[in-house]
Amino acid sequence: MLIDKDFKEIISFQVLSLIGGLFAGTLLSIYTDKLLLIPGMLIILPGFMEMRGNISGSMAARLTSGMFIGVVKPNNLNVKIVKGNVFASFTLAIIVSLVLGLVAFVFNYIMLGIVVPKIILIPLIAGIFANGIEIILTLYFTFYTFNHGYNPDNIMGSFVTTTGDVTSILALLFTVMII
Amino acid sequence: MILKSHLQHLKKVKHRKYHKIIREMKHEGFSRKTLLYLKEYGPHTNVPRTIIRESINILIFASIISSLGGFALENIKEVFITLTPLVILLPVLNGMVGNYGTIISSRFTTLLHEGKIKSNWHKNIELNNLFAKIILISVIIAILSASVALVISNLTGTAVNITTIYKILIIAVLDMLILVFILFFVAISAGLYFFKKGEDPDNFLIPITTSIADLGNMLLLALLVMLMF
Repeated sequence: MLIDKDFKEIISFQVLSLIGGLFAGTLLSIYTDKLLLIPGMLIILPGFMEMRGNISGSMAARLTSGMFIGVVKPNNLNVKIVKGNVFASFTLAIIVSLVLGLVAFVFNYIMLGIVVPKIILIPLIAGIFANGIEIILTLYFTFYTFNHGYNPDNIMGSFVTTTGDVTSILALLFTVMII
Repeated sequence: MILKSHLQHLKKVKHRKYHKIIREMKHEGFSRKTLLYLKEYGPHTNVPRTIIRESINILIFASIISSLGGFALENIKEVFITLTPLVILLPVLNGMVGNYGTIISSRFTTLLHEGKIKSNWHKNIELNNLFAKIILISVIIAILSASVALVISNLTGTAVNITTIYKILIIAVLDMLILVFILFFVAISAGLYFFKKGEDPDNFLIPITTSIADLGNMLLLALLVMLMF
């Protein structure tokens, strides 16, 4: 039968991640003049939003595997493997944000013939804000869900997608305002 | 003692060769995950360096692929930003299609590892069932998300006429349907290729399908907007 437990599980998680996406999209539509009108912003946006899932989602998966194996203790954050994961995730976020900014800068220069240096700074600064928040949230909820008897592998994917969409747009907005 | 010697042996194995050793050592009663984890993040390893070294290339690749899709939308930006429901839908559709990429990839690799996928994979009942489910879910979620986006757009002061409502609904459904077909095709072809090569498709399929999902979504949205508006 098509509509079974599996079907219901997939559709419920999709509805959950829909909420974060709609919230992010609404912010995007309200602040279109501040965000989308910046040349190259649509080039940054998909990669910038995907980064949260790729980096924090992978971190959650690695820590979960470690907890199931017993290498990571669910009540001790101050160990080499946890600190190493946080440091690596943050470093990766900064590198990828910089790459995104450079790609958009090059596009603006080659295709539109304009030089917009702030398109490099926007994803870089927003990446620091968004990942700073998202990595802490991911770390806390991975341990929290595990300690409460849930399998973080089943929860953290949707959690990271939903919260990541919102933190990404808020961080971009905040950065554009301060720049 | 047996465990210790095996783990010592595993520690010395070059990274690119670990898949084959893991397959051999599965017969010793260790799970693949345990062996891989100890090899990558065990004592005497530099955890951040291992993670950064292994992730950086695929992350940069995925970001550049996603940006390519943005080029298409950037070129029709003037039309796109006037369509408020589509601006609201952009992160939703990107997220949804990425999730389908992850679900399809992980389910297909599980079927491969379980030995359920033979040469006549198109006749596999579980795979056909998954395809039917994802198609049905993608249509339901596309209609639901487009309807909510239209309501939000109306509430935030950008009302659209009935023709635009139909067009937005058609764009959302077509975008999802076409991408699900592409994602299944890519996951099956790439999954079979890596599996036959002796590599673990788990390490490649999700980044590949999610990047293609992002790129495909932006390109298709740009194409559909150009055709319909």
